[in-house]
Amino acid sequence: MTTTTADVALMAHLMRRAGFGATREELEDKVARGYENVVEDMLNPSGDRQNLPDDLIRRYHVEHSELRDLAGAGANWMYRMITTNQPLEEKLALFWHSLFATGYAKLNQARALLNQIDMFRRVGFGRFNDILVELSKDPAMIIWLDNNDNHDGAINENYGRELLELFSMGIGNYTEDDIKEASRAFTGWTLKNAEYMSMRAMKDSIWPYSRIAWHFEFREHDHDTGEKVFLGERGEFDGAEIVDIICKQEATARFVCTRLFQFFAADEVDEEGEAAIEQMMASYFESGYEIRSVLRTLFNSEYFKSEAARYSRVKAPVETVVGAVKMAGTYRQPTLGVNLLASQAFYMGQGLLQPPTVEGWHEGVEWIDSGSLVERVNFAAKELGDPSNPGVRAIVDRLARDGGSAQSAADIVDGCLDLMGPLQVEDITREAMIEFATQFGDIDLDAEESVETVANVMRLIASTREYQLA
Amino acid sequence: MSRCVAKRRLIVDRLDPEADGDGDTNVTTQESATTLSFDYVKTIGIVNNGDNGRGFANPYDIAFRADGRIFVLNRCDPARAAAIRVGVLNLDDDYLYEFGNGHGRGDGQFIWPVAMAFDSEDRLYITDEYNNRVCIYDADGEFVSQWGEAGSDPGKFEGPAGIAIDSQDNLYIADQQNGRIQKMSTEGELITAWGDPGSGDGQFDLPWGVGVGSDDSVYVADWRNDRIQKFSPEGDHLQTIGSSGMGAGELSRPSGVAVDSDGVVAVADWGNERIQVFNADGSFAATLRGQATVSKWAADYYSSNPEEYELRLISDLTPDDLPEHLQTPYHTSSQVEPYFWGPVAVRLDGEGRMYVVETNRHRFQVYQKSS
Repeated sequence: MTTTTADVALMAHLMRRAGFGATREELEDKVARGYENVVEDMLNPSGDRQNLPDDLIRRYHVEHSELRDLAGAGANWMYRMITTNQPLEEKLALFWHSLFATGYAKLNQARALLNQIDMFRRVGFGRFNDILVELSKDPAMIIWLDNNDNHDGAINENYGRELLELFSMGIGNYTEDDIKEASRAFTGWTLKNAEYMSMRAMKDSIWPYSRIAWHFEFREHDHDTGEKVFLGERGEFDGAEIVDIICKQEATARFVCTRLFQFFAADEVDEEGEAAIEQMMASYFESGYEIRSVLRTLFNSEYFKSEAARYSRVKAPVETVVGAVKMAGTYRQPTLGVNLLASQAFYMGQGLLQPPTVEGWHEGVEWIDSGSLVERVNFAAKELGDPSNPGVRAIVDRLARDGGSAQSAADIVDGCLDLMGPLQVEDITREAMIEFATQFGDIDLDAEESVETVANVMRLIASTREYQLA
Repeated sequence: MSRCVAKRRLIVDRLDPEADGDGDTNVTTQESATTLSFDYVKTIGIVNNGDNGRGFANPYDIAFRADGRIFVLNRCDPARAAAIRVGVLNLDDDYLYEFGNGHGRGDGQFIWPVAMAFDSEDRLYITDEYNNRVCIYDADGEFVSQWGEAGSDPGKFEGPAGIAIDSQDNLYIADQQNGRIQKMSTEGELITAWGDPGSGDGQFDLPWGVGVGSDDSVYVADWRNDRIQKFSPEGDHLQTIGSSGMGAGELSRPSGVAVDSDGVVAVADWGNERIQVFNADGSFAATLRGQATVSKWAADYYSSNPEEYELRLISDLTPDDLPEHLQTPYHTSSQVEPYFWGPVAVRLDGEGRMYVVETNRHRFQVYQKSS
């Protein structure tokens, strides 16, 4: 099979959206495997996911092992995203984290948050009702939305309300009574030693021996077993049965498919996008609410594969950081300072495990403001403009392999644009970069000065408007 | 006001560690294949969130002096790295003093300190796997000197980790990335070295802890090979103890090793969050899972936070109902406070006591050997 530029461009699009980008060698391997096979591989992760195993991380980073506070937790996930060989699993976990946004500030329990992310990895491709049941049992979510205060005879509606409004159906599709009835069904769904653990969370207590991690507990004596009326159905429902009723609603299908579409396909839903969402909803019902099937429909859709869909999303800060690091080939081993990666994403507006509210982040063009743009450009330019980084060196080697060591400034610019995307920039941008590269004289890729020139061109490309898009 | 005082006194009374009961019921913490056993003595420690004073900040190793002083190496996480230090205390929970030149590459400073050992002149040798060197302090905390540099040539280091010193003041240092043990003088001169990266006899995969026996034989925690290797002082391979796994006598990423005068080998089975004890012939002797109680310093904390202690008393701190996906040693230890969590080092003093350093719990547990 002959690899074409179009094949590579399509695969690069898939890997930007379903992952965090890929090197040219990885793209060529995947093209050889075939688009639909690659989609299937990513939808069915198996085997050891981590190229950088946990034991290595924990040996050097005590804060990633103990997880006393947030400092190491976000970076720990960054390591996973950077080094995973199953990028869609991590990307989907990031999607669920954005949708079921749970934050450190109220919990003071980083281990519980990373356990929640692990749960997204474990069940995130599965049936939506299973996901919602696991979410309802998740100790971080229980504390986050006060379900530990939701008692038989004295309900707390916080979780029941957000389950319907933010996590499944969306406002306008249920009544206030439905919220109360759903809340009754989740009474007694709490965490082990809830009283002690919630006090420790409230006090941010690390005493005496650091955090004690959490797990789910069902308190039968505190569960309301009485009859409930929910979305028109009557029965002695428990939480899992409430979730079953939620998942069969068309509003739920539309809600989750639209959110998946906006995360993976396009920030804005146009007419063609609406048709793609309809296809995803059909897959949702045909598969028994399976997210894997919904994503398969999306990634294999003509809409997703179309030219119009490419570079139509603003990269989220985490995508920006992880994508640049992956391309630069850094942080492949335990690295002092890795925690700063999570800080960088935070400065760009997306602090992992610290969403601004229960509604998560406002995505799309709202990622960009003057401050965050400077952070985005500076970070990517620093990673990709350093000729000592192995990924930068690999691009230099690839340029030399494909075009020989003696190349024109235009060749270098076009070659870097190709290998960093393929990326198309405006003519005026391209010409400015060629003019910049020309000032360093003849280019000989065997010479260290020319390697610097290539790194500087990469730095400029990382600063373009086009590079900010996925 | 008077009610508060009365309540506080009640709590203090109940904070007698004997009465606390944390970890000493409902948990099978030891299993033994021989008559050899280690009886729990006490827990010392509390998390120290600041830059100095009583408590520990991710302790990584422990060392002793004959006068009863106990030295604890605080690796510190990045947020507290400026205060990397050695804390000095005694077995009666008295925190005596602390020392160190802080974080960095300057004289006596550390970035990723790992392990330490005393020579016969009361000088403390502390390895740093990031700075690729050994810093030397005296027992009073005065900086003496330092040596070592990065590289793979003989005498250089790529991540010096465990350290032990024999009766002749020879230093044995696990040079982890180079996959070898370097035997050095106290002045940093190379005497001999052995090993290379691999999994055969005498080879290593990121070795960590080192211990020496009373006959100066050298024991190495061959971390990523899940085994202990025993060598003569000249580097001849003598014995391999343990293999990969979670069962009795098996190991997962052992990080520390110590040997007593009877040849009993204690291993910090880091990946399994436990201690494995072996007889001199390498046969399995005992497993310890940990049974920490409220330390003196922890009791002091609770005496001023009685409401927190009240809720602690009604809690089950040794839960046995973890969901299946959390039933790994790491997750279990993160939820069961008395268990070892991050047992990076095990050391033995001359009195038959075993000390287990838990970096994630900022404490060490003390056990007394009996047989």
